[in-house]
Amino acid sequence: MLARLFAAAAVVLALGATTGCAVNRASATLMADADLSKVKTVYVVHAPEDGRAIDKELKKALEKRGFTATTGPELNPPYPQDAVVTYVDKWMWDITMYMIELTVTVRDRSNFPLATGNSLHTSLTRKSPAEMVDEVVGNIVAAKH
Amino acid sequence: MNFSSFRRSISLLALCAVAVVMTGCATASKPEAMIPTASVAGTKHAQTASVVVAGGSETSALGKSQISNQAFQQAIVASIEKNKTFSSVVKGANGEYRLAVTVVSMDQPSFGFSFTVKMEAAWSLKKADGSVVMQESIKSEGTAGATEAFAGVERLRLANEAAARANIAAGLAKIGALNF
Repeated sequence: MLARLFAAAAVVLALGATTGCAVNRASATLMADADLSKVKTVYVVHAPEDGRAIDKELKKALEKRGFTATTGPELNPPYPQDAVVTYVDKWMWDITMYMIELTVTVRDRSNFPLATGNSLHTSLTRKSPAEMVDEVVGNIVAAKH
Repeated sequence: MNFSSFRRSISLLALCAVAVVMTGCATASKPEAMIPTASVAGTKHAQTASVVVAGGSETSALGKSQISNQAFQQAIVASIEKNKTFSSVVKGANGEYRLAVTVVSMDQPSFGFSFTVKMEAAWSLKKADGSVVMQESIKSEGTAGATEAFAGVERLRLANEAAARANIAAGLAKIGALNF
């Protein structure tokens, strides 16, 4: 009994020392003077570390909202499209792997940020990658100054 | 279980509760800790500027330490004044130049001993008439080692502040390199 309690105490202390807590959140910010209504064509830059084809989900979410989207590797700016989309997806394991956080940034042709969106959902309220992408893209498109 | 071992068990449980409370609350990044310690080289411009900040986040006690707009703005203003990057920083839109800084992303770890935060901020400097003088996306990193704080949430705050310091230093260096 006592040994188990010691183990529990050790686990709690280790967790406290090694983790930052997390909460669910979803936000989007439009840069000063940015106007996404002028954006018609978008190039989604495939993140080199992404092995789950999140760029394809982004393409779908953008096309759903009327943009003409293509994906591919990072290129030297300026890009021929109206805007460039980059992303960072973070994953966590809890019984199964799930996407805990997604940050999407919309940039102009020269790579300067125009808008950014972020969603974070921990295990109990986890969403599928497609749902996470849809939430972030939806929030970016709806973002106001 | 006898009375003595029962008391030990209760004590251990109390210890666990105290550990959770002490290590579980996040605190916001502090403006004074985001000011670059070394002075930033570059031209000291004779004009005035206003500073606006967006994209920051408030810190939830149960979440991760974040950088708020207000704290980041205070740190940038204090850094400009410390380095004399502009002659003075004015409130509102009355400055000869308008510096807009937007936090684009904060890539923060959730687990680990040494925490490294990666930050990107969009720096935009315009004249009062709206013409663009500088637009730079500045990426920076800050690391807090395992020995710098026991609690993970504290190390994350320290790493945030280090990333912000580096970002402000790089941003002011870019402005200092301009001639106007």
